[in-house]
Amino acid sequence: MSFVEPTTDTPTVMIPPPQGDRVIDVHNLDFFYGKNQALWGVDLPVARNKVTALIGPSGCGKSTLLRTLNRIYDLYAGQTAKGEIMFDGENILDQAKNSEQLRARIGMVFQRPTPFPMSIYDNIAFGVRLHRSVAKAEMDEIVERSLVRAALWDEVKDKLNTSGLGLSGGQQQRLCVARGIAINPDVLLLDEPASALDPLSTAKLESTLMELKDSLTIVIVTHNLQQAARISDYTGFMLLGRMIEFRPSSDAFVSPETKAMQDYITGRFG
Amino acid sequence: MSVAASSTQMAAPDGTKTLRVTDAQGLPRQPGSDRLFRLVCLTAVLAMMATLIGLVGSLVSGGWLALSHFGFSFFTTSTWDPVADQYGAAGPIVGTLATAFLALVLSLPVAVGVAVFLVEICPQAIGRWLAIAVELLAGIPSIVYGMWGLFVLAPWFAANVQLPLMMAATPGSWLETLFSGVPNGANIFTASLILAVMILPYMAAILRELLMSVPSHMREAAYGLGCTQREVVLRIMLPYVRKSAIGAVMLGLGRALGETMAVTFIIGNSHNFPHSLFDSGSTISSTIANEFTEATGDMHLSALIALGLVLFMITFVTIAAARLLLGRGGTK
Repeated sequence: MSFVEPTTDTPTVMIPPPQGDRVIDVHNLDFFYGKNQALWGVDLPVARNKVTALIGPSGCGKSTLLRTLNRIYDLYAGQTAKGEIMFDGENILDQAKNSEQLRARIGMVFQRPTPFPMSIYDNIAFGVRLHRSVAKAEMDEIVERSLVRAALWDEVKDKLNTSGLGLSGGQQQRLCVARGIAINPDVLLLDEPASALDPLSTAKLESTLMELKDSLTIVIVTHNLQQAARISDYTGFMLLGRMIEFRPSSDAFVSPETKAMQDYITGRFG
Repeated sequence: MSVAASSTQMAAPDGTKTLRVTDAQGLPRQPGSDRLFRLVCLTAVLAMMATLIGLVGSLVSGGWLALSHFGFSFFTTSTWDPVADQYGAAGPIVGTLATAFLALVLSLPVAVGVAVFLVEICPQAIGRWLAIAVELLAGIPSIVYGMWGLFVLAPWFAANVQLPLMMAATPGSWLETLFSGVPNGANIFTASLILAVMILPYMAAILRELLMSVPSHMREAAYGLGCTQREVVLRIMLPYVRKSAIGAVMLGLGRALGETMAVTFIIGNSHNFPHSLFDSGSTISSTIANEFTEATGDMHLSALIALGLVLFMITFVTIAAARLLLGRGGTK
C-alpha cells in the first residue's frame, strides 16, 4: 500500500454538523484490544436524523468505532475504550453497568443477518417485551408497523408465524432492521449491513434506511463507496485507527481535501 | 480414481463442450494400493458388524430358555427367586429406568448451570481450567464412586436426610409412602444421586461445546437489543441449541442405564419391586453382576442373559433416539 501513514501531525479535516444537531459526540476516543491500540484520538460527531457513513480500508477501525457506540465491546474481556462518547448529556463510557438501557436506545444491525431461532413475529416481539409489557393488540400493531417501515411487511404478512430462519438473506437483514426499530431506538448502528446481500436486496435495504432517517439517526459502516455517497449525509474517512476526514457527504466524494482520502476514493488503495 | 492432474476440452457428440478428466501423468502409483486400503477398512467394519450380530445373537439364544418359559410375565412380574426357579424382571427393569431418569432429573439442571457458567459467565481462561476439572470428574473410576457411595454417602444420607424425612412425614400420608424404606442409605435415591454425579461431567461437557457453538453474532445481536445476560442465555442461546441438547441428555441417560459397579454398591440389591424413593432395589446390570457367579441352574443363567438383552434394547433405543436428534443438527 502506498500512502502516508497517519501520525499525530497528519493533517485531518473536520467539517462537523453544528453542535446543537449532534445526538452522539465522540471526543478523543482511544480503543484497545488488550494491549493493541486500535483507535487513536478519534472524534465523531453524529447529526440527529441524518445518515453518517464510516468508510476506510479494512482494519482502519470503523467497525471498532461503531462497536463502542453501544458498548457491545463490553462482552469481551480485554477490550477497553478511553475518551468521551457523549449521548444524551452523559459520557456512556462512564456508566459501568447499564448497557442494556443504552442498547435499547442505540440499536445495532450486524454484517450477517441474525434472526433469532423463533418466528418472524416473535423476532420482533422479543425485543419489545424485553423492555416493557405489551398487550397482544398493541404488539400486533408494533410488529406490523416495524415490518412496514423495514419494507418487509408485504413479503411476510402471510407467514408471520413461520421461522425467521426461513427467509432469504436480504429479508433476514430487513427483519433485523425491523427488530431493531421496533424498540424505538434513537440511533441505529449498521455494521456493513449489505455486504452479504445481493444488489437487489441491497437496494431495498438502502431505500429502507433512507425512509427511516426521518425518525431516527443512522450510523453505517460500509465498504461500498457508492452506497456511502448515495445514502449518507455525513462521511467519516478513517485510516489506521484515526479519523482522517469528516465532512458532509455532498462534497466528501467530490472534493476530499486529504491526500489519503483522495487516494482511497479514487481506488488507489484499500 | 486417480487425482485429476490434467484436463482437456473436447467436443461431445452433441457438439457441447465437456471437460474430460485424465489421469495424473508421471506420478508413481500402484493401481492395487487403493483396493488393498479399502479392503482393510472394509474388514474392520465387517469385524465390528459380526461382533454386534454375534453379541445380539448369543443374547437372544442364551436368554431364549427363560423368555420362552416365562413369556411376557418375565417383564411384568417381580418374583425373582433362584431357589424356586421363578424369574420375573419387573423389579430390576423398573429399578434401572427409575434410577436413570432420577439421575437425569438431578443432574440436568446442574449440568446446564455448569455449562452456562463456563461459557458465558466466567473469564475464558478460567473457564478452560474449570472445564478440565469437570472432565476429571468423568475420569474417576466407577468403583471409586461406588465405594464412596457405600462408605461415605450412604451412612451420611441415612442419618441426615432419610431418617429426618421419615420422622417428619405424617403417618399414612403419601409422603410417608414416598420416604419409607430401611434407613441404611442404600436405596434407589442414593443410587440415582451417585449416577447423577457420574453423568454430570458428560452432559456438562457436551452442553458446554454446544453453547460455545452458538455464533457470536447471535449473542451480539441479542445483547445489542438490550438483553441482559440471563435473557441472552435463557431466551436465545439455550433455545438455539435445544435439539442438540436433547441428544446430549440422551447420551447421559444411556450411560446411566448401563452403569453397573457404582450402582451395585449402593442400591441395596433387593429384587423386589421398589415401592418408594428410599426403598432398596436393583438394576438390570447390578443384578447380573451380583448373581452371575452363583447362577448354576440353566434357567437362572438364561434369565440373567435375558436381562442383558433387555438392557441392551433399552440402551439401544435411547442411543438411537439421541443419534437421531443429534444427527438432525438441531441448531435450527
